Amino acid sequence: MMVSSLFSVIGSGIAMGLGSIGSAVGEGMIAMSAVESLGRQPKASAKLLRIMIIAQAVTETAAIFALVISLLLLFQAGTDSLFKGITYLSAGIAIGLGTIGAGLGAGLPGASAMKGIGKQPRNSDVLTVHMIIGQAVTQTSTIFALTVSLILIMLAPTGGLLKMAACLGAGFAMGFGAVGPGIGDGLVARFANLGVARDPRNMGLLTRTMIIGQAITETTDIYAMVVSLILIFVI
Amino acid sequence: MEVITGEQLIKALALLAAGLSMGLGAVGPGIGEGFVGGKACESIGRRPDEANLITKTMIIGQAISETTGIYALVVALILIFVV
Repeated sequence: MMVSSLFSVIGSGIAMGLGSIGSAVGEGMIAMSAVESLGRQPKASAKLLRIMIIAQAVTETAAIFALVISLLLLFQAGTDSLFKGITYLSAGIAIGLGTIGAGLGAGLPGASAMKGIGKQPRNSDVLTVHMIIGQAVTQTSTIFALTVSLILIMLAPTGGLLKMAACLGAGFAMGFGAVGPGIGDGLVARFANLGVARDPRNMGLLTRTMIIGQAITETTDIYAMVVSLILIFVI
Repeated sequence: MEVITGEQLIKALALLAAGLSMGLGAVGPGIGEGFVGGKACESIGRRPDEANLITKTMIIGQAISETTGIYALVVALILIFVV
């Protein structure tokens, strides 16, 4: 009993500890750009503050997912099955690593929107809409990680060595697999936002290209999810 | 406690390795494709008339960046089903 509980507590710590890295850095980037823009356009301070808070709230989503899983794992600490302990640890790894990319990624378009508003405050409405679309697509990678974590938590408590290794592998596949696409989606949205800030008339074209670019970037994330689902359900 | 044979241990480690292969293998292509897509958006922001050409080049560039991700997927599937 002690060993299985230990695994779920470690999983909870990994989920929240790693899960806060991305969002924290991303929100810091947004605030950094907002402060820089304030120095350039002190008159737009109310607008900048409002949009900074919206951008940071969206960036926070990833960390909130990690918090939810972390708390769920803490409540499961009384488990007496070693297999369940391992699946809880895997769920923690999946969501902990899986939020790093989306947190950083959501910070990048937020920061570029702040920069754009600092250059031209009257574009703020268009930029906010575009920023939120970009950030929402960036969150997909975390949502995949959340799905895999929840599946791992809900798994039936039976399985041998093979199944344990497969679940741990699924956690690593989804966790690491979400890092790159999260950051990549953020990069696409960042430069699209800079384009909108330069000339808001191109917004339609840029949104289209941004979504195509983000969809292709997301493919490796989907491979990672497929591999983790195979590891969970087929093995 | 049941006895674990060497063959089972190899299979278990192969499954863990499949997860690591796909997970770590997806980091690079993800970031690389993000750079391609980002710079394509930046170029379209600067020259909207060339959007078609830029989108075409972006998709080719991303497809090539994707290849290492596909290698990782193939290796992961081999580790799961063949080893």
